[in-house]
Amino acid sequence: MTSQSVRIGSLVLKNPVLTASGCFGYGLEFDDFFDVSTLGGICTKGLSLKPRDGNAPHRICETPAGMLNAIGLANVGVEAFCRDKLPILRERGVTVVANIFASSVDDFVALAERLDGESGVHAIELNISCPNVTHGGIEFGRDAKMAAQVTAAVRAATKMPVWVKMSPEAGDLVGVARACEDAGADAITAINTIRGMVIDVANMRPKLANATGGLSGPALRPIAVRMVWELAGAIKIPIVGIGGITDTRDALEFLLAGASAVQVGTASFRDPCSAQTIMHGIREFCEERGCDVTELIGKARR
Amino acid sequence: MTQSQVQLPKRQLLQTHLLRRESIGNSYHVLTFDAPGETGPLPGQFTMIRSSEWGQAPLLSRPMSYLSGGPTPSLLVKVCGEGSARLGRAEAGEPFLLLGPLGTAWRAPDPNRRQILVAGGVGIAPLLFLAKSLAGTGKRPLLLYGGRTNRDLPLSDDAAESCQVEVTTDDGSLGHRGRVTELLERTLNDQVEVYTCGPDRMMAAVANLCFAAHVPCEVSLEAPMACGYGVCLGCAVPAALGGYMYACVTGPCIEAKAVDWERTHATFGKPAAKGEPT
Ligand SMILES: Cc1cc2nc3c(=O)[nH]c(=O)nc-3n(C[C@H](O)[C@H](O)[C@H](O)COP(=O)(O)OP(=O)(O)OC[C@H]3O[C@@H](n4cnc5c(N)ncnc54)[C@H](O)[C@@H]3O)c2cc1C
Ligand SMILES: Cc1cc2nc3c(=O)[nH]c(=O)nc-3n(C[C@H](O)[C@H](O)[C@H](O)COP(=O)(O)O)c2cc1C
Ligand code: FES
Repeated sequence: MTSQSVRIGSLVLKNPVLTASGCFGYGLEFDDFFDVSTLGGICTKGLSLKPRDGNAPHRICETPAGMLNAIGLANVGVEAFCRDKLPILRERGVTVVANIFASSVDDFVALAERLDGESGVHAIELNISCPNVTHGGIEFGRDAKMAAQVTAAVRAATKMPVWVKMSPEAGDLVGVARACEDAGADAITAINTIRGMVIDVANMRPKLANATGGLSGPALRPIAVRMVWELAGAIKIPIVGIGGITDTRDALEFLLAGASAVQVGTASFRDPCSAQTIMHGIREFCEERGCDVTELIGKARR
Repeated sequence: MTQSQVQLPKRQLLQTHLLRRESIGNSYHVLTFDAPGETGPLPGQFTMIRSSEWGQAPLLSRPMSYLSGGPTPSLLVKVCGEGSARLGRAEAGEPFLLLGPLGTAWRAPDPNRRQILVAGGVGIAPLLFLAKSLAGTGKRPLLLYGGRTNRDLPLSDDAAESCQVEVTTDDGSLGHRGRVTELLERTLNDQVEVYTCGPDRMMAAVANLCFAAHVPCEVSLEAPMACGYGVCLGCAVPAALGGYMYACVTGPCIEAKAVDWERTHATFGKPAAKGEPT
């Protein structure tokens, strides 16, 4: 028997496979498919203080080995999440990472305070990297000073582990991540989507109503692996790797580059059981080699 | 909502293979799959389909309404882009993944009304499934079927077995020359109810006629979909009550009143819709 559990700061996960924010709903849409509590954890759709309708359609379009999305952080709001979703997740024993989004430091703090008392939430992930909203989001993630300010403020507002999700559009990614580490982050999630665009040639208009959208899926993967690799050489806190993971081999790349855990995003769309399959695949890989999963972390660096 | 009272079949990712593909002309194909022991879909539900051989591109599965259910479910596919073109080339035996049955089914027909089905092009698929499910109840719905030309009316012969069919074409090459709505207008009264699937513009026009005549109207929504089961939030459709609903879970089958057709026009009017050649 090999051990699959990994430690992300003070939080111990059953195994290193989580699902990515925005790609797994609130974890309650999978009853027909598999038992979500077996996963290392799930990240909720980005939660804001008030419910949000999101952007006008079209919101998504496919690209070579990827897709663009401009959902605009449609979500039920933190109150409805705590009232309607969280109790069920808690009862089922799901490890929940609450992904939060706000357009000001004060609102980030208010969200963190609201979630702080909630049993069933195991960590908070700060989305300072959403490319699809006009205020907040990516502005915080591009600038080391602003990223540190949000992180420190949230850190002071909650006892829960705080993960900060990086934007690949940060000019100085390592600088932003270090600033977050110094400000008290427990982990760095890398990466969010990178902005792209598709124009419908027949209509001579952008395909998305928002014109641009975040690129996810396999097309993003080599960029994400490179960023995890760079971060792993620069920071001490754990990294949660994400970007285009569709199978076990992809997930192993991130672990070997230095991530302590991974998140599966777009892959869940075409196969709701992707994360579960990858979780089993990593265990089998470890069993074949007779190693614990922690031995794989950063192995390609040594 | 009426749909929520219906017990929907369990969803699953079915690994199966293509039993046969029949080319029925002008880039339309009927694909039949092997699904032994499945409870199968209800009329109006859809599947997200991809071939296991597609790899990373096309990346996403394609939403397709069921044309029939049971142990050998079938789909009617119109070739319009990369994914549908591959479906139109698929050979018997090719491995496929079908995620389904997904979404809402058509509301159960009212035994005290005549059913009028209004189809545009490939929108015939979920309506024909509904019509066939009525066989044995003594009901024979009226199908108003519109296409650009006589080559854009797939399965119209098949439909004659379960429906009274009236056809319209834009160019007059078959049936009435003009639009389905012109035929519909004459048939609306308080003894009928309408089910429609086709291009958004057509469904909006059908819905408006029904509103004016106080006739119940059900539509099958179409939107780009990444997941088909409610987690990506990509398939937003403007809702009459404000905000958005999600075509894959609140729909595709829903009462026309629930849709904000004006905002839908503003956003969906432009790209080529189902049944319109691209
Ligand atoms: C609920 C539902 C039921 C449908 N039923 C049928 C059916 O029975 N028969 C049929 O032929 N078609 C049906 N369609 C439309 C069908 O899904 C598209 O024609 C198909 O996805 C086109 O894929 P493509 O790769 O050929 O086109 P491309 O343009 O290459 O596709 C690129 C991307 O856009 C999406 N896309 C393109 N056109 C549409 C569209 N009209 N609607 C939604 N997504 C689109 C594709 O899924 C893909 O992700 C249905 C759509 C929905 C939402
Ligand atoms: C439809 C969609 C919605 C997303 N919503 C969020 C979100 O609400 N918050 C967030 O932090 N990231 C969001 N993301 C980004 C993903 O969590 C992930 O970082 C990104 O998609 C890259 O991973 P992938 O290639 O595995 O999908 C979203 C991605 C997609 C495709
Ligand atoms: S297609 Fe993903 S939510 Fe409807």
